[in-house]
Amino acid sequence: MDAKVFKVLSRGISASLQDRGRAGWRRFGVPVGGPMDDHAADWANRLLDNPPEAPVLELLLQGAKLAVLHDAWIAVTGADAQASVPTWRIVRTRAGDHVHFPREISGVWIYVAVEGGFAAQRFLGSASTCERGGLGRLLAPGDILWRTPEAAFRLVPTVASRSVAWSERRDYNAPPPFRVWPGPQWNSFSAHERESFFAHEWTVTSRSDRAGYRLTGIALKPQPAQIISEPVRVGSIQVPPGGQPIVIMRDGPTVGGYPKLGMVDPADLSWLAQCRPGTSVRFQLVNSS
Amino acid sequence: MNWIPYGPGALLFQFAEELGDAAFDKGRAIASELENHPPPGITEFVPAFTTVLLEFDLSQVPDPARIAPAVAARLEAVTSENVPPAPIKEIPVVYDGPDLARVAEHNSLSTAEVCEMHSATVYKVYMLGFSPGFPYLGDLDPRLHTPRLASPRTRVAAGSVAIGGEHTGIYSVESPGGWNIIGRTPLRIFDPDRAKARARPEVIFYLRHGDRVRFVVVKRNA
Repeated sequence: MDAKVFKVLSRGISASLQDRGRAGWRRFGVPVGGPMDDHAADWANRLLDNPPEAPVLELLLQGAKLAVLHDAWIAVTGADAQASVPTWRIVRTRAGDHVHFPREISGVWIYVAVEGGFAAQRFLGSASTCERGGLGRLLAPGDILWRTPEAAFRLVPTVASRSVAWSERRDYNAPPPFRVWPGPQWNSFSAHERESFFAHEWTVTSRSDRAGYRLTGIALKPQPAQIISEPVRVGSIQVPPGGQPIVIMRDGPTVGGYPKLGMVDPADLSWLAQCRPGTSVRFQLVNSS
Repeated sequence: MNWIPYGPGALLFQFAEELGDAAFDKGRAIASELENHPPPGITEFVPAFTTVLLEFDLSQVPDPARIAPAVAARLEAVTSENVPPAPIKEIPVVYDGPDLARVAEHNSLSTAEVCEMHSATVYKVYMLGFSPGFPYLGDLDPRLHTPRLASPRTRVAAGSVAIGGEHTGIYSVESPGGWNIIGRTPLRIFDPDRAKARARPEVIFYLRHGDRVRFVVVKRNA
């Protein structure tokens, strides 16, 4: 049975619907998209027995406020913004409740899943909003979020106590070193420079968004400084002439002409995504023997 | 053909050293081959000027490097002989962009000469990127090469025809951008509304990798 689940009272800094992203369209210049932290988004869906591709609500930092229009099971994961409901566990919300996220404590991206998943317009086979690519739009106050018509959540006796194990909840303020694969221009960086990259701490800057996270630290000087534009994978660590790396995120460009030192492992990129500006991060080379 | 692993589950092949007719034809042949006879386990391919990225389903192809030599040999062997000729698609342009004078001045030309030269070439779509459907068009007359703006605009309208260094292109959606805007086309080269339906790529994206393009001058208010 379809139902209006939420009304957006405030979207906070940004809010959009995301599913697992769109595959097969990068040769047309369309980014992959999808949740910035797919680890947290996946857990929100798993708590509710949703299919992994069910659309979730992605909120940026604090300030979002949702009015509950219909009783529903939901799950909130990701960044800690002092949510008005318990997080990382299944929660029954009642019509008339408000769910809000007043103050950012740690992390960047918050995920809200509803039983069955949110109904969403699909573009190129995916519900993932990609504002930069003209695919869908960010949510705005007054928007109504619907549950998918085919949503059928089968309650099991233990459902009310279902929560994510502590071992699966990540510390967004003190991440482990992120694993990096060598990039196509690995050899454009001197051995000394590569060593320095892995030896030094990098700081996430505020010039970071769904397209890319800019880091600051030592200056890198690849030779040559530019290449003939070639395909770019999500997670790539590219170094523009300024010498400060940009990690390409999910809505980032599909091609580019800057040398790429490496690529953050997809499993770790979701953790990097949750690192707020000012967070110190380190990288380590994967053992790719 | 050179290849290199690019993170888990992907290979980057380099099929040409530099831009030009040979690279364009080879790129078209490879794209056609990958579309019509995809290697087992491939999930996606992305062609660019001189390289093509192949991504594999790790559950089917756990170590793509093992099959890379065989794929390289296959891509090496394809030629554009059996590929249909690249269609020439026309793009109407009103040459009245805010950077038209800058491009003219940089190259010691009149604005009329810029329009004339820009619309005289048949361009090749070497790749789509930057934004959905944004074509990187090669073979810009060297007399029109113009460096990108020192500080990019925060908003460039969809349909803006622009020059960035040695390339020309068309902004497909409203986005930030640092290319010199010399004109605009009323044509929607990418239609997000059509992307809602289960439409074929041809009706969503006016241009495809491997097409050729001619700009047709339209007078203001025409």
